[in-house]
Amino acid sequence: MENLLNEQLSWWNFGVFSFWAVVLLVIVLGYVTYAIYFERKILGWMQLRHGPTRTGPLGLLQTVADVTKLLIKEDTIPRKAEQTLFKLAPIIMFIPSFVVLATIPYTSSWFFADLNVGMLYYAALSGISTIGVVLGGWASNNKYALLGGMRSAAQMISYEVPHVISVTGVIMVSGSLNMRTIVAAQEGAFWHWNFLPQIVGFIVFIIAAVSELNRTPFDLPEAESELVAGYHVEYSGFRFAFYMLGEYVYTFAIACLTTVLFLGGWHAPLPFLDFIPGIIWYLLKFTLVVFFLIWLRGTLPRVRIDQLMSLGWKVLLPLSLVNVIITAVVIELTK
Amino acid sequence: MKGIMKGLGFTFKNMTRKKITYAYPDVPLIMPDRFRGIQHFDPEKCIVCNACARVCPTDCITLTGKANPDPEKKGKVIDTYDINFEICILCDLCTEVCPTEAIVMTNNFELATYSRDELFKNLNWLNDNNQHIRQENNSAMPKGGAKKDAE
Repeated sequence: MENLLNEQLSWWNFGVFSFWAVVLLVIVLGYVTYAIYFERKILGWMQLRHGPTRTGPLGLLQTVADVTKLLIKEDTIPRKAEQTLFKLAPIIMFIPSFVVLATIPYTSSWFFADLNVGMLYYAALSGISTIGVVLGGWASNNKYALLGGMRSAAQMISYEVPHVISVTGVIMVSGSLNMRTIVAAQEGAFWHWNFLPQIVGFIVFIIAAVSELNRTPFDLPEAESELVAGYHVEYSGFRFAFYMLGEYVYTFAIACLTTVLFLGGWHAPLPFLDFIPGIIWYLLKFTLVVFFLIWLRGTLPRVRIDQLMSLGWKVLLPLSLVNVIITAVVIELTK
Repeated sequence: MKGIMKGLGFTFKNMTRKKITYAYPDVPLIMPDRFRGIQHFDPEKCIVCNACARVCPTDCITLTGKANPDPEKKGKVIDTYDINFEICILCDLCTEVCPTEAIVMTNNFELATYSRDELFKNLNWLNDNNQHIRQENNSAMPKGGAKKDAE
């Protein structure tokens, strides 16, 4: 891939790029399908029940059935809703989630765009989805949706700040925003991976990531039991499917990002385990992060909006700033 | 923080525990004995007193009697007996007032049909419905313990 990127853009190169882009999109869609299935299964097991078992063998076709149902539903738009914005909101929400997948490297030779500002690209684009959420809440002409949209805007903006600052520590240690360089700097055994030296940053990153994804315990904007589904209450059919798709693709992006930034990407935990290909390690770590997100969802209750804001501004932001300062001091002292 | 960790450990262990989901409808669901399902009717015991029709809160029982064919005996015998199952609320009052326990409850509740015609239960159907008849509180059963039904 590196060679292709460095060459002149020809029809052949373009064809290869398009082919691999389509392969990635198919893989991501397959991931979303089975992430939803496994989320329901694992949540069921944690609640002493089975999860989907009837549709298809072991319930594997449940998501397919659900998505088919969503796609063939009637597209209801409330009469007094703001038509253009209503239709635009889900699109604004899910497009950045696909676009950020371009900078994520999967192994040392499988990557798409070797951006030197890869981390900044991700942080910038993931903020655009917030606009989609707020627009959805506003355009629905529904006070619950508006409340959900406002809460979501407050939540996502307040947690973007510690999210990005916690990554700054990693960037300082690795010396670059380029994701491949960050992974390369974590070579060696698992104590070289960034989650141990940057433990504070790691914890802040995980908490802020769960909040960015609007997942329990921070799922106030959706609040299935409280806010009548929050900002997507008026959405049905495929528009709702777009919101859900955007959310699950973001879990893919965040899990990939956690693996790349903190868990050593495609490196094996101990050097002698190198014979197992890097992609397997990457997949294992990725699966671990996704399982952890689902596990959190099955365990924790929802936080209140004021508890959420105090957590973001009064706890996570100072912690991440302290992390940056300590990292800077240590780097200077050990130079 | 410690609470969160304990909670995470608990839900993780829960994944290995036995599931509490009922396997119905793959496995039949055994109801308690006094569960109120559709009734069973025994025409030989009925003395056409109309108590069940009078006490029924939704008026779903309609019955007619005819004079006893045996000229020696007095009283009536039952000719037709219908329960309109569309409005029967399975309240069990008809079985409570019946002096001869001609009508008793069973445990059968799987009665969904595709057409409303089949919801009008007549005498033959109610007589044939003799599985899972209620054992307790039922003086129609033989004394000295209930016999197990053949099922």
